[in-house]
Amino acid sequence: MSSSGKLSVEERLALDKFEIYSKPHIIVDKDKCLKCPEKPCVKACPAGLYTVDEEGRLQFNYEGCLECGACRLICPYNAVKWSYPPGGFGVHYQFG
Amino acid sequence: MAEERFDVVVVGGGPAGLSAAYFLSKAGFSVAVLERGGRLGSKNMFGGRIYSHVFDKYFPSGWRNEAPVERWVRRERFSLLCKGQAVSMEYWASRSPGKYDSFTAFLTRFLEWMGSLVESEGGLIATGVKVDKLKISEGKVIGVEAGGDELEAGYVLIAEGINTILLEQHGLRPRPRLESTAIGVKEVIRLGENTINKRFNLSGGEGVAQLFLGDFLKNARGGGFLYTMKDYVTLGVVVRLGDIGSSEISVRDVAEDLRLHPFIKSMLEGGVMVEYSAHLVREGGTRDLMDKPYGPGYMVLGDAAGYLLNTGFSIRGVDLAVETGRLAAEAAAKCLEKGGEPTCTSLYGEMLRRSIARRVLEKYKMLPEFMNNYRLYAIYPQLACSTLAGIYTTDEEPLKLWESLSRARKGKISLISMLMDLLRGVRAL
Repeated sequence: MSSSGKLSVEERLALDKFEIYSKPHIIVDKDKCLKCPEKPCVKACPAGLYTVDEEGRLQFNYEGCLECGACRLICPYNAVKWSYPPGGFGVHYQFG
Repeated sequence: MAEERFDVVVVGGGPAGLSAAYFLSKAGFSVAVLERGGRLGSKNMFGGRIYSHVFDKYFPSGWRNEAPVERWVRRERFSLLCKGQAVSMEYWASRSPGKYDSFTAFLTRFLEWMGSLVESEGGLIATGVKVDKLKISEGKVIGVEAGGDELEAGYVLIAEGINTILLEQHGLRPRPRLESTAIGVKEVIRLGENTINKRFNLSGGEGVAQLFLGDFLKNARGGGFLYTMKDYVTLGVVVRLGDIGSSEISVRDVAEDLRLHPFIKSMLEGGVMVEYSAHLVREGGTRDLMDKPYGPGYMVLGDAAGYLLNTGFSIRGVDLAVETGRLAAEAAAKCLEKGGEPTCTSLYGEMLRRSIARRVLEKYKMLPEFMNNYRLYAIYPQLACSTLAGIYTTDEEPLKLWESLSRARKGKISLISMLMDLLRGVRAL
């Protein structure tokens, strides 16, 4: 099947291999996000893992994380406690 | 708690770490590489090109036949993309313009090959091992802790990449600066060898490296890239992190926006995407270099130390990383032979200062400032498209070049600003 039309980020992440660890390696202090109007993490995350719900609250899911570190640097309120998943877990690139 | 001792422990099995491990184990020292990925290369990602000089000079002479080289770059393309238009420039050469060369590769596979060299020299590579902290005693790094195990070493070489978690944790370097860091995303598309050869006008293992500027970035600073592998094409975008907040850009969509630009879409027609990846990229040149990439008992290598060069027409990371690894190995070997004094690591600093890696970064030290200029991304691509559209049109009477340029730049940029930018560019490049 050729990839001709636009592929959503979910469709593209489904191509990647992951070994998901049971606990998140990134912890977001969402209370800090309440006073952050811009929420640049939403636009910066290449995997689209940061979203804003109907009530304007930040939601985050660590599954599908590409371990790039963009959210750690872009967060203006230091709300992202970032680390790598334990050894052997997380994304597993084959064409990196 | 298990405890073992090595002459050198290397944190990170990327290009820098494996290079250091290769040269050290070849010289007869005991080396352990600790890599958090389940396999070598499984956490590494880059655009797609490696410069060969460091391998030609220092690796076994048959390396070109053994390494997983995808294609040798023979066509260098640069394209400015506009809405429904593009302006391109190409440099073609039947052979490399110099003694050395560049090739496309998948870093994942390339690192597996580098790892096999390390192992054939007797070096140990432990994958799936994340280093939690450095073991420090009396201000000296004496080993590492990983998953409850401790490893002691004469020297610890830190090659943890751009996310310097370990160094930051111990206060040895600040986090990467937002203003000079970019995020890169890459899509890998399977197209088949014959199709790639036909579409990109290639034969016999030749490859293309292509860079893009244009409106797909939505006023953020950055660029796109395309590299031909044997059966695949890698396509991606690099965007400055500091620009994301104020731009309309959405990083998760930006690679697709580029892929579906009509100028590129036709090149990739029928292709099947097989992987999507992301990685941070340094953009600060010499400003990102650590002042002191060493200290008692440790040395810092490759991307972690700031060694990445983006000139706008070429991006060099792997060759510089491998070179820092080679120098760290040489310094560690000399220090170990002299008795392994922890402070002996300053030798690495001296070697690095005189290195070719440092010299190329210094050579382009004015470049990051030049590349900070928004006009390069927001104005010039459109200016080039409009100007060429004017001279190629034959509606009524054609426009002369100057006339077309004047119309294209009207209300967008003054002649003085253009001349200033040109001068700055000439000086920086």
